[in-house]
Amino acid sequence: MAVYASPLVSSDLVWQIVRSNNSYLVKRKEAGGVQLSRDPLNLTNKHSRKYAGFVNDKAIGVVAAEKGGVKVISKKESAAQKPGKTTVESSYHGGKSARKTYKAVANRAAKSGYRPDLREAAVARVSAIRKSQLEPKPTPEKKPRGKKAKKATSEEA
Amino acid sequence: MASRPTVTIIGKDGSPSGATHTMPTVFASPIRPDIVQQVHTGMAKNKRQPYAVSEKAGHQTSAESWGTGRAVARIPRVSGGGTHRAGQAAFGNMCRSGRMFAPTKIWRKWHIKINQGQKRFATASALAASAVPPLLLARGHQISSVPEVPLVIDSAVFEGAAAAKTASAFAILTAVGASTDVLKAKKSKKLRAGKGKLRGRRHRQRRGPLVIYDPEVDGKELVKGFRNMPGVETCSVFALNLLQLAPGGHLGRFIVWTSAAFKALDTIYGTTTKPSELKKDFLLPSNLVSQADLSRLINSSEIQTVLRAPKGGRVTKRASVQKNPLRNKQVMLRFNPYHSTFVKENLGQQKKEAGKPLKTAKGFEGILAED
Repeated sequence: MAVYASPLVSSDLVWQIVRSNNSYLVKRKEAGGVQLSRDPLNLTNKHSRKYAGFVNDKAIGVVAAEKGGVKVISKKESAAQKPGKTTVESSYHGGKSARKTYKAVANRAAKSGYRPDLREAAVARVSAIRKSQLEPKPTPEKKPRGKKAKKATSEEA
Repeated sequence: MASRPTVTIIGKDGSPSGATHTMPTVFASPIRPDIVQQVHTGMAKNKRQPYAVSEKAGHQTSAESWGTGRAVARIPRVSGGGTHRAGQAAFGNMCRSGRMFAPTKIWRKWHIKINQGQKRFATASALAASAVPPLLLARGHQISSVPEVPLVIDSAVFEGAAAAKTASAFAILTAVGASTDVLKAKKSKKLRAGKGKLRGRRHRQRRGPLVIYDPEVDGKELVKGFRNMPGVETCSVFALNLLQLAPGGHLGRFIVWTSAAFKALDTIYGTTTKPSELKKDFLLPSNLVSQADLSRLINSSEIQTVLRAPKGGRVTKRASVQKNPLRNKQVMLRFNPYHSTFVKENLGQQKKEAGKPLKTAKGFEGILAED
């Protein structure tokens, strides 16, 4: 059974159709009219041809997983017409060292020529997700300044 | 196309029935959002109910202008006395309780004629787009659990009014992974913002899958099964409607086909070799390019062999390590050829010539000021 992949519908054509409006697109008037994307397969959340994962045949997405890990999603080119089987997931648990996770994700992106142009963005996203999963440090108590500081020192003395 | 691609026909419980069908030729039609949008805007206007303000509105008074000389505007004014209304301006669109500007008439041009060729082109285009998963995603359909696009269900599943009840119809959609889209549509029901609420458009909600069937084979009972499912629409394959195939003019509706309907497409729209049986004088629109992948075109040997090598190339050479001209004499000399003389003659160390500038001679200012 041949897999249906028409030469008539390329990702270039699809992008021309969806670039002005699609369900993932977020248009904001702020910051000179930013255009963002809610696509899970978009590494930078920017609305652009390069990062539009749902348009491209090959794409990588990085999302947060439980317990400080990350989940990497990528698209299988051979299953383009089978939405149920299109994505391949692999997760890296939070216990793994950051460097090893970066290495693994970079290899997923660039090894065997999958999408070498996305390597940097993929690693950056992993780094950002891991950073966001850290427990934030407790904010230190505020030191008294000005009048209050003078008052505090005079009381001590 | 070298070999016609095939589509799996899905049987009961979402597993492939084993049978396949070749992709009907309509799906190779060019995808033209511009044509679809234009036809859609026209078609969407063809179901409008005429409305207008009352013919008499704003004119039910015997107002006359007072003319000039009364120190008021010459607008018609309500005659008589004994009420506040008397003497008030009337009729004009700028007047309180006057007539509106250009009162709406029921003989407005409500309907738009669309050429049949364009309508057929748009339908074929919308059908072709319904087989492209990225376009379905771009429309917002939930297709992550759908086994294949286009989604074709064996007509045997619908046999004997099997989908006449909503529960059984929903079970069929669940089996093929299409129920997430139904649930999304169900959850999306929101109150409309604005006056539309009062005008029969109280809620707005997403569209779910469109079930296309063949009434001769599948029967019409499934319409009853699907009609109460939010967002789900049904349509006979012989009467496809662009408003359903591309709601809002946006391509890529998620379509659930029955196998009989899918098989009927080639007889309805014809193929490249066979004209349509049901549409008179209709040939499927053909594509202008047979390869739409730009990078494949650019990297093809045909194009690469006729390209000229880039001229010139990069002229400026940049040092890999930036050297400090204040420390490195050779680098300094490249920047400033005068540097060697400057150093040899110790120009940097010489003092400025002493003394103040000479005073101007007496009488010089007088010469300057002379007229």
